Amino acid sequence: MIWLVSMPKFLKRKFFKDIINKLFGKNKKLKIGFYGHPNSGKTTLANRITTDWIGKPIGLVSEIPHETRKVYRQEHVTLSLDDLELDFDIIDTPGIATKIDYKNFLEFGLSEIEAKERAKEATKGIIEAIKWLDDVTGVLLVIDSTEDPLTQANITIMGNLEARKIPFIIVANKIDLPEASPDKIHAVFPQHTVVPISALHGEHISDLYQAMVDKFN
Amino acid sequence: MDANINGLKMDFLSSTMLNSRTSMEKISMIVDRVKNGDLVVIEGGLTPEEEAELIETTMREIDVENFMGIDIYTLEKDKKSFFGLSKSKIVGLTIIGPANVMKAVKKKSNFLSMIANLGDSNASMH
Repeated sequence: MIWLVSMPKFLKRKFFKDIINKLFGKNKKLKIGFYGHPNSGKTTLANRITTDWIGKPIGLVSEIPHETRKVYRQEHVTLSLDDLELDFDIIDTPGIATKIDYKNFLEFGLSEIEAKERAKEATKGIIEAIKWLDDVTGVLLVIDSTEDPLTQANITIMGNLEARKIPFIIVANKIDLPEASPDKIHAVFPQHTVVPISALHGEHISDLYQAMVDKFN
Repeated sequence: MDANINGLKMDFLSSTMLNSRTSMEKISMIVDRVKNGDLVVIEGGLTPEEEAELIETTMREIDVENFMGIDIYTLEKDKKSFFGLSKSKIVGLTIIGPANVMKAVKKKSNFLSMIANLGDSNASMH
């Protein structure tokens, strides 16, 4: 232990801080899952965040539901606000739904074969997204504020996060649309942190970054 | 259900019956019935973990031609606290059915209305 005594003061402090962090699990990697319905804007938000902080998007977005059919991961995104930093991995998950009708995809110009294949892949994606609930350490629950927020998928996601004691923020997305009603999301989930944003245009995105630092740090 | 009858079979499962089963047994009991075209009405609700398991099992069972998944609706009731001060709600009933059957649902506090699509004819229940 002579080496410890001869160590400079700041290194000693770091040494003990690291031990305490390890003991209390503070070094556990922060993995923030992006959850929500298909087309709620999870990947648009993930792209906004990665573009803002690491200069590149994470995945493809489209108007066709279930565009994200497997989990995408972006490691080491560091968000800096004032003197605070939040280092995390983004886990962008496929939208969770209780049903998938391939005929809905035909409306977007997909052939029947493509639509059926997309439906099959989407079912696998939903299973993968649910499995990730065991591994994420924080969640952004993305809700389209032009839609009814009180859906079974949202209730199931929130119930599971609460049961697992995983901190989460409700992101009331698409506030740029005239029919958006983020107040309704506030009214339905008054006990939770709700941040209204437009992931597409970046409106109020700094509010979300502040909420993330407060909630997940 | 008898293939010759164009009707909707509804199974009402009491909480006593469900609580005697494991989560996996509950889920497979529900999914088997719903996949068969039946509507299941449960007294009370499922736990969040069971709900996630139900969605996961449903996804495994989806067959793009014949079974597109499920719809779940709940009817909440006020939870009575000892002093009558609490305003929290608990799930009183859970209705789970095939997504192609449960067509329109109107939900208000203490009221749930559903239109079931039975192919050419429609049945409604309140």
